[in-house]
Amino acid sequence: MTSSSEHATSPEKNAPAASVNHVELTVNGVSYPLHLGTDRNLSSVLRGEVGLTGTKEGCDDCECGACMVLLDGQPVNSCSYLAVQAAGRAITTVEGLAGDDLHPLQRNILAAGGVQCGFCTPGMLMSAEALLERTPLPSDEEIRIGLSGNLCRCTGYARIIEAVRATSVELDGVRRSSVTE
Amino acid sequence: MTVLSSDLPPFRRADGPDKVTGSGRYTADLSVTGMAYAKLCFAKVAHGRIRRLDVTAARELAGVFAVITADDVPDLLYSPVIPDRRLFARDVVRFEGEVLAAVAAVDAETAERAVSLIDVEIEPLPVVNDLEAALKEDSPLVHEDWESYEATGDTPRDRNVATFSSITKGDAASAMDTADVVVSSRYVADGSHAVPIEPRSVLAQWEGDAVTIWTSSQVPFEARAGVCETLQLPTNRVRVIVPHLGGGFGGKCGFHFEAHVAALAKAAKRPAKLVFSREEEFLAPDRRRESMIVELTTGVTNDGEIVARQGRVLIDNGAYVADAAFFPQLAAMHVGGPYRIPAIELEASLVYTNHQPSGSVRAPTAPQACWAVESHTDELADAVGLDPVEFRRRNIVHTGDEGFAGQVYGEIGLDECLERAAASLAASVAEVPLGSHEATGVAVSWWPSFGVPAGANVKMQEDGSVQIITGAQECGTGAVMTLADIAADELGVEPSDIRIVYQDTAVAPTGPGATGSQTLLNHGRAVEAASRQIADQLRELAAAELEAAAGDIVLADGQAGVAGSPGASLAIADLAASAAQADLLLGSASAPVPEYPTVSAVCVGDQGMAAWLAPQFSCHAVRVAVDPDTGVSRVLEVHAAHDSGTILNPIGAHGQVEGGIVMGIGQALTEGTQLGEGLQRNAGLLEYKLQTIADVPTISTQFVEIDTPNAGPRGSKGLAEAPNVATAAAIANAIRGVIGSSVRTLPMTAERVWSTIEEARV
Amino acid sequence: MTLTIAHTVDDALTAMAQGARPIAGGTDLVVGHRQGKAPLPAQLVAIDRLTELSRVELASDQIRIGSGVTHADLMIDPIVVGRLTAVADAAALVGSPATRNVGTIGGNIMNGSPAMDTGAPLVVLGAEAVLRTETSERRVSLADLWTGPGTVSAQADELCTGLVISTPTTQHGSAYVRLEYRRAMEIAIVGAAASVSFDGDRITSLRVALTAVAPTIREVKGLDDVVDQPSFVGTGGVIVPEVLSRIGSLASQQATPISDLRASDRYRSHVVGVMARRAVDAAARRAAGEEISVPVNRAIGIGAQR
Repeated sequence: MTSSSEHATSPEKNAPAASVNHVELTVNGVSYPLHLGTDRNLSSVLRGEVGLTGTKEGCDDCECGACMVLLDGQPVNSCSYLAVQAAGRAITTVEGLAGDDLHPLQRNILAAGGVQCGFCTPGMLMSAEALLERTPLPSDEEIRIGLSGNLCRCTGYARIIEAVRATSVELDGVRRSSVTE
Repeated sequence: MTVLSSDLPPFRRADGPDKVTGSGRYTADLSVTGMAYAKLCFAKVAHGRIRRLDVTAARELAGVFAVITADDVPDLLYSPVIPDRRLFARDVVRFEGEVLAAVAAVDAETAERAVSLIDVEIEPLPVVNDLEAALKEDSPLVHEDWESYEATGDTPRDRNVATFSSITKGDAASAMDTADVVVSSRYVADGSHAVPIEPRSVLAQWEGDAVTIWTSSQVPFEARAGVCETLQLPTNRVRVIVPHLGGGFGGKCGFHFEAHVAALAKAAKRPAKLVFSREEEFLAPDRRRESMIVELTTGVTNDGEIVARQGRVLIDNGAYVADAAFFPQLAAMHVGGPYRIPAIELEASLVYTNHQPSGSVRAPTAPQACWAVESHTDELADAVGLDPVEFRRRNIVHTGDEGFAGQVYGEIGLDECLERAAASLAASVAEVPLGSHEATGVAVSWWPSFGVPAGANVKMQEDGSVQIITGAQECGTGAVMTLADIAADELGVEPSDIRIVYQDTAVAPTGPGATGSQTLLNHGRAVEAASRQIADQLRELAAAELEAAAGDIVLADGQAGVAGSPGASLAIADLAASAAQADLLLGSASAPVPEYPTVSAVCVGDQGMAAWLAPQFSCHAVRVAVDPDTGVSRVLEVHAAHDSGTILNPIGAHGQVEGGIVMGIGQALTEGTQLGEGLQRNAGLLEYKLQTIADVPTISTQFVEIDTPNAGPRGSKGLAEAPNVATAAAIANAIRGVIGSSVRTLPMTAERVWSTIEEARV
Repeated sequence: MTLTIAHTVDDALTAMAQGARPIAGGTDLVVGHRQGKAPLPAQLVAIDRLTELSRVELASDQIRIGSGVTHADLMIDPIVVGRLTAVADAAALVGSPATRNVGTIGGNIMNGSPAMDTGAPLVVLGAEAVLRTETSERRVSLADLWTGPGTVSAQADELCTGLVISTPTTQHGSAYVRLEYRRAMEIAIVGAAASVSFDGDRITSLRVALTAVAPTIREVKGLDDVVDQPSFVGTGGVIVPEVLSRIGSLASQQATPISDLRASDRYRSHVVGVMARRAVDAAARRAAGEEISVPVNRAIGIGAQR
C-alpha cells in the first residue's frame, strides 16, 4: 500500500483537520508539484494553485457542468472531485484544448453562434471533446445526451449542437487522442 | 450608405477567443495581492425583529480582518422611486436573504467560520406570504414605517401596497353589457429566477480615498451610483469595472453588493472579494421574477370581437421595491395585450411580502401576464367557436390601429408575425401529423423599447484603426460588439479594424447598461452619431485632397472615394495619418432620447410605462406532447416570428430568440420558486430545474423586418427580452389542446397538469 | 483528514479495519461536504483504482458485478445490457455523463438512498451484495442491507466488493422506468423496475420493485396470482391491459411516499403505478425478444428520442 498522506493527527475529533499532502498533478501535460489539503476539490486547485481559471464554478453539486475537466480523457465535474485523487492522472482543462490554432470545437462553436456569456463554454467544450473522443460521429440525440450535464442559460443550445455536429463532420469521425501526455 | 442586413458576413464576437480558450477573466477569476475573502451573514428568517447581533466572537477569530454591520456604514434609506431599504438590516429583517453583517478573512473557510460565530437572535414576526391576505386591513405590515418613505413621482401607495396603477379607457362596465359572451378567468403564476450560470462576484480595492470595484453587474453606472449614494462618496472616487460577465437576464441589474464589499474592504484595510455560492445566488440576489395573480373578465361578440375587459393583477413585490415600481403599469399593459379593446378597466398592485425582492428579470411581468391573458384569449376563442389564430386575427393591433391604452401605432408587424408563425407550424403539422397526445398552441405578445440617454466616444487612430469607448455593458448577447458593425459601416472600415473599450465607468460616458433590451437602441445611436462626426471629418479631408465636394465623398472598403469617379480615391488610413498631425479624428456624442408617443387612456401610477416607444411584437406557435398518465409535457417545436425592426446582427438575433424560448419553456414547465413560510425551499439546480440540452425542441425563427422610425439605429428595436414573453403562453394553449382544460398555475408542472386532468374527470 | 490510495483490495480492507471510509468517485461525499450536510470522514481510502472491482463477470449460473463498475460502464456492458437490462436502463438515467463516469454501483448501493435508480432493478433481479472485511466475507440480500433512508446494515469495516446475481434464464426480460420532469439531470421522483420470465406464453416469474416511494426500495407483494396464467399474455409478450392495471394498482397501494419539493404523496402513489405498468410491459416485451433500446425512458413514451 502506498500512502499519499502524512497522517496528521486531528486536533478535534469532530472537525478533522485536512492533512497536507504532497501531490503532483499533471494538467495539460505540465506537472505541478503541490502541497494540498486532502479535502480540497479539484476545481479550486486548478483555479487557485495551478492558476488556470478557465474551469468555472457554477453550482458546487454537479448540476451545471461549468467545472467540467477531463481525467484520463473522461469528463469529470471537478467541483466534486478531490484533488488528491487526481494524482497520477492526466488532467485536461479548457486551456489545454487549443494548440497554436483554436481546436475545431472552439472555432466551430464561435462560428455557429454557440457562445454568448461564455461561462458555460469551457465545460461544454470539455464534454463535447469527451463525447467526440468516445463517439466520433454522434447522432443529434447522442450529442444531446453527451452534453446533458452542462447547463447553458443564454443560447437555447441549438447552436451548440450545430457546432458539435460540424466538428464531427470536419474531423470526419476520426478518433484522436485529446489527452496531453 | 450601406444598410446593415442579414446578407452581411457572419458576425464575429470580439470576445469569442477569450471565452473559448478560458483566457477571458470573469470577476471570480480575479485575485489582487493581499486580497481577503468576503462572506455575508444573512437573516435566514423571513420576518423578524433583531434582538441581538453580536459579532465579537467573529471579530476575535484568528484570520478575520473585519466584520461590519449596519453600525459601520451611513444610516440611510436608498432605492429608486421608493427608498425603503438599508445596506445592512437594522432592527427588522424582511426576507431571508437580508444582509446582517459582512466578514473579511484570510481565506474562504475562515470567513465562513466567522459568519457561523456571529451571534444572532431574531424574534419572529408574522410572515406576509399571501398576496390576497396582504391586502386585508388586519394584515401585518411588511413596512411599519411605509408612510415615512419619500417616494418620487406619481407613486400611489397604501400599507402593503407598495404602489399601484390603473388604466381606464371608455366605460368597461357598460360595454361589457353589450357583449354576447363574457368569460372570467383567474391565473396564478409562481415566482422564478434569472439563474445566470455565473454566480455573482464582487472585488473591491481601495487606493487612498478612491475605490475600484470589479463586479458581475449588468449595470455598472447604476452600481456606481448605488455605492456613491450609500457610502456617500463622490462619483469620481468610485470606479466600477465589469470583467467578462457570465450572464445576467436581469438578475444582475440594479445595485446590489458592491457597497457591502467596498465598505468591508475599507474596514479590512485590504482588498476583499465576495463570490456567491449557487444557493446564495438563489436566495440573496434580491432580484427575481415576481409571482402574480391575474383575474380577467372579457366580453366578446358572437363574431369574436372583444368589446370590453376588466382585470386585476396582484404582483409579489417581495420585501423591498428595488426597480419594481413600474411593474404594475407594465403588468397592466400585458394583460391588456396587443389588442384593440375599446373599453377597458385594469388595476395592478405591487404587494409587499416577506419574500426576496422582485426586480427586472428578462421582460419583467410579461411572461406571466402573457401566459394569463393568452390562455384567457384561447378561452374566449373557444367560447365563440373560433379558431385561436382567427380570433387573434380579428382582434390584434395592425398598422395604424389604436391599442387598448389609446396609443396609435405606426407601421407594425404583429399581423405578419401571427401569420408567419402559424403558417410555419401548420406546414410542419401537414408534414408530420399531430400524434395522439399532441396539440398546437399559439400566443402573441409585445414588449416596449426603452429610449434613454447614452453616450459614446469614438476615435480613429493614426493607422486608421478605430476605438469605441462605450458605457454599454456586454452580458453575453453580443449587442455591444454589434456596435463595431455600426461604426464600421459609418466609417467605411472593417469591423475587425475596431476595438471596443467597455464596462469601465472611469473612462466611458454614462449609459444604462445591459438592461431593458436597450444596448443597440441607445448606445447604437450614440456610436452612430459619434462615428458620423469622424466620417464628416474624413470627408472634409478627402474632399480637399481629391478636389471634390465633401458631400460626394463615399467611405467604403477602407477607401475614401468620389461618387461617380471610380479612379479617385484615398486610403482612409492615410487620411488618418495626416489627421494625426493636425485635427485629431475624435467623435463624441450623446444620443438624443427619442420622442415618446402619447396615449388617450387615463393612467394612474404609470411610471412612464403606458406609452411604448417602438414596441416589439412576436408570435410563438408550438407543438407539445403530453403524457396523460403522468402529466409530463414536452415541447417538440417552437415556431417564432418577431418584429424587432431591422435586424442588425442576425446570428446574435437568432441566439436571443432561441435562448429566450428555452428560458420560456423552463418557466412554462419546470421553473418555479417553491416557498414555505416565506423561505425558498428549492434553492439549487437539482430542485429548480432549468431545461437541459436534451430537452430543447426544434426552433424556427423568422424576423419581420420593418425599418422603424424614431427607434434604434437603422430602424432597429430591442430584442433581448421579447423572445422570453410568449413561449409559456403558447405552451399553455397547446397543453389545453391536449387535455381539454386550462392549467391555471404556472409553472405547469407535470403534477399540476395531471391534477387538471383529474379534476376534469370528476 | 487523510486519504490513502489503495492499490489492492487488501490495502483497502486494511485501511478500513483502521477506520477509513472508502471513496470511489466521491461525488456524494464531496458534494455532501461542500453543501455542509456532512463533513468528510477523518480517514478515507480511495478504491477507484482497484481494477479487480471494476469488472462484470459471467459464470455459468451467476453474474458478478464489481462494486467499482461505473454507471457509464454498466449502461453499455454487453452482459448487463443483454441479461440485466433493467440495471443498464437505470445506469443510463443517473445524473450526467460525468457523474455516470465517476459514480459506481457500489457507492450507490452502500449509500442506501431510496431514490437510487439502480436499486429497484437489482432487487427484482435478486442481487446480493458481497461484503468483505480483512477476515470475513458474507453475502447479504439488498432487502437486508438497506435498513432505512441512507442507512445500511453493513459494519463500518465491511467493503462492498460487488454484487452477485443468478443468471436469468432464457425468455427473461427486465426494465426500469422512471418519472422525469426533464430528459436529463433528473433524480428519481418515482420509478419502477420489473423482471419477467416466460415459459412459452406463461409468466413463470414476475418481480416489481419501486423507487422513492418508501424509506427503502420497496418490492411489490401479491403478484403470485399473475404468474402461471397463460391468458394474461398476448402475442409478442404483450401482457394484457387488465393485468398491467392490476399490477399498477398494487404498486400504487403499496407505495407509502412522502410529499416533498418534487411531488406530493398522492401524485407519487399514482405515478408509481404508471411506472410499474410500463416497466412490466417493457420487461415482458424484452422477454419475448422485442428490441427496446436502453434506457426505456429514451426508447418509448414522452421522453423518447425524436
